[in-house]
Amino acid sequence: MAGHDQLDEQAGLYVLGALTPTDRAAFEAHLATCADCTAEVRSLSSVAGALAHAVPQSEPSPALRARVLASVGAATEPEVRLTASARATASLAEAETRRRKPDATTGRVPVRLKPDATTVPDTTTVRAHTFVPWLAAAASLALAVGLGVYAAQLRTRVGDLEVRLREATLRADAGDRQIADARRTAADAQSQVAVLSAPDLARIDLAGQPAAPQAAARAFWSRSRGLVFTASNLPALPAGRTYQLWVLTAQPAPISAGLLRPDTSGRANAVFDTPPDIPRPTAMAVTIEPDGGVPAPTGDKYLVGLAN
Amino acid sequence: MWFLWAVIDRLGPSGRRTGDGLLDEAALERIARGDHDALAELYDRHARPVYSLALRILQNPSDAEDIVQEVFSQAWREAARYDRLRGAVAAWLLTLARSRAIDRLRARRARPENAADHRAVVNVADLGLPPDLQVLSSEQIACVRAALGELPVLQRVAIELAYYEGLTHVEIAARLEQPLGTVKTRIRLALIKLRDALAGAV
Repeated sequence: MAGHDQLDEQAGLYVLGALTPTDRAAFEAHLATCADCTAEVRSLSSVAGALAHAVPQSEPSPALRARVLASVGAATEPEVRLTASARATASLAEAETRRRKPDATTGRVPVRLKPDATTVPDTTTVRAHTFVPWLAAAASLALAVGLGVYAAQLRTRVGDLEVRLREATLRADAGDRQIADARRTAADAQSQVAVLSAPDLARIDLAGQPAAPQAAARAFWSRSRGLVFTASNLPALPAGRTYQLWVLTAQPAPISAGLLRPDTSGRANAVFDTPPDIPRPTAMAVTIEPDGGVPAPTGDKYLVGLAN
Repeated sequence: MWFLWAVIDRLGPSGRRTGDGLLDEAALERIARGDHDALAELYDRHARPVYSLALRILQNPSDAEDIVQEVFSQAWREAARYDRLRGAVAAWLLTLARSRAIDRLRARRARPENAADHRAVVNVADLGLPPDLQVLSSEQIACVRAALGELPVLQRVAIELAYYEGLTHVEIAARLEQPLGTVKTRIRLALIKLRDALAGAV
């Protein structure tokens, strides 16, 4: 790398745009790491600005003005236009400056509730005051903060209402569920009574198998009235699995009586319609199967019991 | 967030801004909204220096007027992208004018072997550094003009070839038939004198 005296020379050439592309690239790389040279470039750049002004001044032809303004008027719009809200902000600022001026005769600050000819923002007046952008910025800031606070309040209120709605819905659902549960329980009880009082009642006790040695169950069976099944100490089901009750008869294939889902304490109570037209059961079994059940048993046996 | 920046900028230490500078910024903001009158205002304040610089570089009134038209068209199109932190509006317009004029000068010279240099000049306008943070007073401009006249001839010509003709230091050395190191040193000395003149005129 060159010595710093040479780099000082580079700074001047750089500011004038007089470096070759190679030298310029090298110097810019140096600038990125050298505060001294950056400061030098900054200081010399004002000289470049002065050189632009230092030429003999002469007036362009009046026709040029018309040509420039006409060409721009005919050309496309500026690339980025501010939104209508920015213009409205400028109008706000203008209205604000007017409002603050006390009325000369009464000494009071005039307050106009309705827009009239004098409060309609006059764009030529806006132009004349260079402080308007500042006011516009301040008004816009105040407006933005105000809207922000209002929006936050609305959000809180809506959130509050949503919570209350959800609670009410949950209570209604719970009420519906309780009614449905009660109906089901009553129906089950009626079915159980019907089954248990049936003249053709048979009982089958089921014992836990190696997969669930603690489990036990009892089935009451009536061909005419149905099947009542109660089980205890059934292991909790893994996701996607269900217990399925099978009736074994003299026929070779087991017949599905239905699905069982134990509660958290491992108990299951169910009343099933008797599968129609089957012979007297010789045995019953409970297996673990995929959710929804299967036509023929595939999983491990949890409970098995033989008819007397 | 633009309004926050505007507030911070106005509240910050910006004592160097003059009334004219603020007028220019306000005009650019209105131009960004499509206000033709604002462009007329900007033209009336700056067409003369822009035209004069282009005329100095191109030495031809018709070409200089083309540059003026190009510069104000560009200002109209790019007003919304103007970054006040990069320098005064006047300096921006003059940087655009110089860049375009030297571009045209090189095209006129039509020296294909200097295509790389051609690109270098275009890049002058894209420097990420403020070309001139201040709005120069007429006293400062007069002082620099006087200081330029008082420079030793070789120093002055070297500066003029670099700034008004867009030559690289290598080309200047060839034109003046001087060693490269001498040209570099002269340009540096001249710039320091001009800077001192500028500082003394504040």
